[in-house]
Amino acid sequence: MTKHKDQQNYRLIGKRVPRIDGPEKVTGELKYMTDLHYENMVWGKVLRAKLPHAKIKTINTEKAKQLPGVLAVLTHEDIPGFNGFGIVIPDQPVLCDEVVRCTSDAVALVAAETEEIADIALTLIDVVYEELEVISDSEYAMTEKAPSLHPDGNIHSHVMIKNGNIERAFAEADYVFENTYYSPRQMHAFIETEGGWAVLGEDGKLTVQCPGQYSYRERMQIARALGWNPERIHVISSPVGGAFGGKDEITVQIYLALLALHTNGRPVKIHLKREESVQAGIKRHPFKVTVKTGATKDGRLIANQVRAVADTGAYASLGGAVIALAIEHSCGPYKIPNVDLEGFCVYTNNGVAGAFRGFGVNQVCVGIETHLDMLARELNIDPVEIRKKNVYHQGERSSIGHIVKSSVGTFKTLEVATNCDLWRNREKYKLEVSEPWKKRGVAMATSFHGIGMGIDIPDYGASTIELLSDGRFKVAVGCEEIGGGNSTVYAQVAAELLKVDIDQIVVVQGNTEETLDGGTVTASRSTYTGERAIAAASPHMINLLINTAAEMFTVPPDEIELDLNKLIIESKNKVSYREVFQYLNEKNKKTKVEGHFILPKEKEEIKHSGGAPHHLYGYLTHVVMVEVDTLTGETDVVRVVSIPDAGRVINLQGLEGQTEGGAIMGIGYTLYEDVLMEKGYHKTRNLTDYIIPTIRETPLIETFPVEEPEGGGPFGAKGIGEVVMIPIIPAITSAIYDAVGVRINHLPATPERIYQAMKKAKSNRVTSAR
Amino acid sequence: MNISEIDVITPRDVDECLNFLHLGEEMMILAGGTDAVVRMKEGKWRPKTWINIKHLHELRFIRKENNEIHIGPLTTHTDIVQSHFMQNHADVLVQAAREVGATQMQNMGTLGGNIQTASPAGDTIPALYVLGASIELRSQEGKRTIPIEEFYLGPGKTLKRHNEMITKIIIHPQEKNEIGIFEKLGPRKAQSISIVNMACSLHMSANRKCLGGKIAFGSVGPTIIRARKCEALLTMGELDIDMIENIAKVAWKEVMPITDVRASAEYRRDMASALLQRGLLRLMKRWDKR
Repeated sequence: MTKHKDQQNYRLIGKRVPRIDGPEKVTGELKYMTDLHYENMVWGKVLRAKLPHAKIKTINTEKAKQLPGVLAVLTHEDIPGFNGFGIVIPDQPVLCDEVVRCTSDAVALVAAETEEIADIALTLIDVVYEELEVISDSEYAMTEKAPSLHPDGNIHSHVMIKNGNIERAFAEADYVFENTYYSPRQMHAFIETEGGWAVLGEDGKLTVQCPGQYSYRERMQIARALGWNPERIHVISSPVGGAFGGKDEITVQIYLALLALHTNGRPVKIHLKREESVQAGIKRHPFKVTVKTGATKDGRLIANQVRAVADTGAYASLGGAVIALAIEHSCGPYKIPNVDLEGFCVYTNNGVAGAFRGFGVNQVCVGIETHLDMLARELNIDPVEIRKKNVYHQGERSSIGHIVKSSVGTFKTLEVATNCDLWRNREKYKLEVSEPWKKRGVAMATSFHGIGMGIDIPDYGASTIELLSDGRFKVAVGCEEIGGGNSTVYAQVAAELLKVDIDQIVVVQGNTEETLDGGTVTASRSTYTGERAIAAASPHMINLLINTAAEMFTVPPDEIELDLNKLIIESKNKVSYREVFQYLNEKNKKTKVEGHFILPKEKEEIKHSGGAPHHLYGYLTHVVMVEVDTLTGETDVVRVVSIPDAGRVINLQGLEGQTEGGAIMGIGYTLYEDVLMEKGYHKTRNLTDYIIPTIRETPLIETFPVEEPEGGGPFGAKGIGEVVMIPIIPAITSAIYDAVGVRINHLPATPERIYQAMKKAKSNRVTSAR
Repeated sequence: MNISEIDVITPRDVDECLNFLHLGEEMMILAGGTDAVVRMKEGKWRPKTWINIKHLHELRFIRKENNEIHIGPLTTHTDIVQSHFMQNHADVLVQAAREVGATQMQNMGTLGGNIQTASPAGDTIPALYVLGASIELRSQEGKRTIPIEEFYLGPGKTLKRHNEMITKIIIHPQEKNEIGIFEKLGPRKAQSISIVNMACSLHMSANRKCLGGKIAFGSVGPTIIRARKCEALLTMGELDIDMIENIAKVAWKEVMPITDVRASAEYRRDMASALLQRGLLRLMKRWDKR
């Protein structure tokens, strides 16, 4: 595909291409799966655990079963296969039998004629519990005193990375900073709560339509619980009304499947109310991170020590991978020779935590970036310059000790930061406060994020391209459209490579009967893997088209030229793809091709790291300006500059969608969002008290991509989905410091926390006054 | 009571509505529904019958009568926000109505509903306090008018009897030298429930001399709290930056908030002072420009 190397000649790659699913989403014409209604449908409901930690003594469903309108009441006894699920280890019961470990746990299922009858039936199920001690603190969970929530104890995983001599480095350091940082239990807060459909067909095949992030893995998890041949299960998982990692794990698929076996072939629907989604849905891991950083007086980082404890709640889900990725990224994109990093993933009775955009890096980036901000202030060096001194470049050794062979754009992003208007003129902008009692601050931070799975986990992509009867091409990629815009990327890539207009491409995603297994839509991987999978399939399609035309016109294949939307035969005759299809169809020949590839990996795993390093990383620098109301502590982010290195940009409009959405989600994480829990119970119940930014909290966001193309793919794209919300977190907290002189180490930085910190700083200054 | 079993009846006029209310406690009034529907969903409000009054247009009005403003209880927050008359004669209520929930809430929610829900965090109530509002209640037996400060007994509790409905809200129009402000501290700028709110309306003379005024706080006690000590201090001298700060500090003593999921009691007390300080600073800036 060398002819595509020159970007100037691309028709679609790198251009602002409107989303192919835009009009139907904006007009509401698109129906999400939870919007659908079927005749003869049945409502399903889930009985959740009443207590965060308890023994189940008895479950009595008789009264519920006798309620008119109830079709089925199911408990653990009705699970034909294995009673457990979980992406890595299946430690979460589908329906609890002996113990409940959090209020997300499911104890029974109901199917009924109406949603209301199903709700009433839930109240008629009598579960007798014996209360057990609730573990609500992850540090306590690690002690001997705490009861074990699982047979192997409460430490689900322990990862570490050590290099150099940390003690000596701290002794030699001119500056040492040590602080402990707490991060919130962020909720994905997708607009479409968990839900979907299942129906048992007359042919004995089970169809599960449920928004998810990996149809093939969901099918395997359903099959395991049902004890069924997975080939008998059809999972449709796309499109999705937002996921952000929160639908990576099983949500309601297994409940739907179980109920569908008991509704006489009638379709069964479950759609969680927001309150149930808050209680049952997966959240971001709250971390406690203690970071000690040593530096020399010329501004070089020489030591970094990190101890991170992640509260994964009652079950593992992807907690082990989250803490591993956190530790891998805990030193930032820098070359620190002496590091001592360790992380624990710990069970508690606080709901369940799992995958969420950023995957642990959000929690750990705050420490190193804050310490760099402090160091820059101590040394009176520009915060951008001090980072330039410490970043690794392509071919250099990172803090975790591997040589980074893939592209590294950090330095370029820092140069753009130096030259951007907000940074250059920050002193002027800081004076332009909107009211006299408000103060402004400007700060920056940089970070990175691995693309694709860690070193241990098989990672591959696959696609099919099928010529349709109308001459268009159906491009099928496993990765779901969860709102990020990958469907448009796939259409662009296929249209570019097949040399057709974008409206000649039909994209199909997330469907076990239409797509090949191409891995999950996580880990910032779906642009990279989808692009390469399509690039692997498209030469086969071009060959099929050319060879078929050669056969049709009895000319040698090299007399056939691929032209826009058609083939040209011997430089004179045209043949359309509709005609090619007709010919293939008449001859009963296949019209579909496949492409497969395996993601490049590093050769050696860093010992005890749990999967580091990654082969590919995306990089990003944020510059932000905040305005703090000194009377109340209210903080506005008034301007954001986002400078990503995502490799070659496939779609500038899509990239901006990510940088803007990511910045807003990062603002929410830093200033507003937290699901409050007390003794295992959710104190935050719905979106009334779970505060996410609205358009009134959305600042001016500028995006200046630097492109450090990656050699492996056809166009040089890397990934963008997660890093867009990461460095903004410490950038905001440092900007708050720049404005009012307080460091908020416990996020979110609510008005109350900022106000109390300012009050404390003020009283410290005037300790002699009475 | 299951939701599917609840009846809805729609009276033709106020008299018919009062007849229904007379029948007993199993009937409840439904106006904009922005509170009622939420509480029905939560299982808290499940009457046998909803009396739907949303279309009783005779209760949706803003009128000047003698030296009073009469507001119908079905007047929506949006009606208030968009009324030029209200903008000129009840600025503090207009500002408060603009801060209620989101646009959709303002379009559906009614002033009467906000009063009757009797939330200590209700946004329009402090504004009604400082405008000296009275509530007209009617039942089959007749009508009575109660000053708003006597109307509230505690969170969710008012003097309104079950067979009564609010039929009018009466306020005093602001005079030319009277200006008001509503300050709200929520967890974010839009679509939020107040952590603390404050309404204030001042009579001013030349310069920054204040002739008197009223100040009321929301969300810092079981009902709205009038800050009478602060009010007394308003007239002590010119409202310059120092005087404002001194008056605002006193607010801290006039409130007794609770700790909940939105904020601590300690922060709420400090914020009573902060909002009064910010409100007076903003008011004086506006006054100086006039």
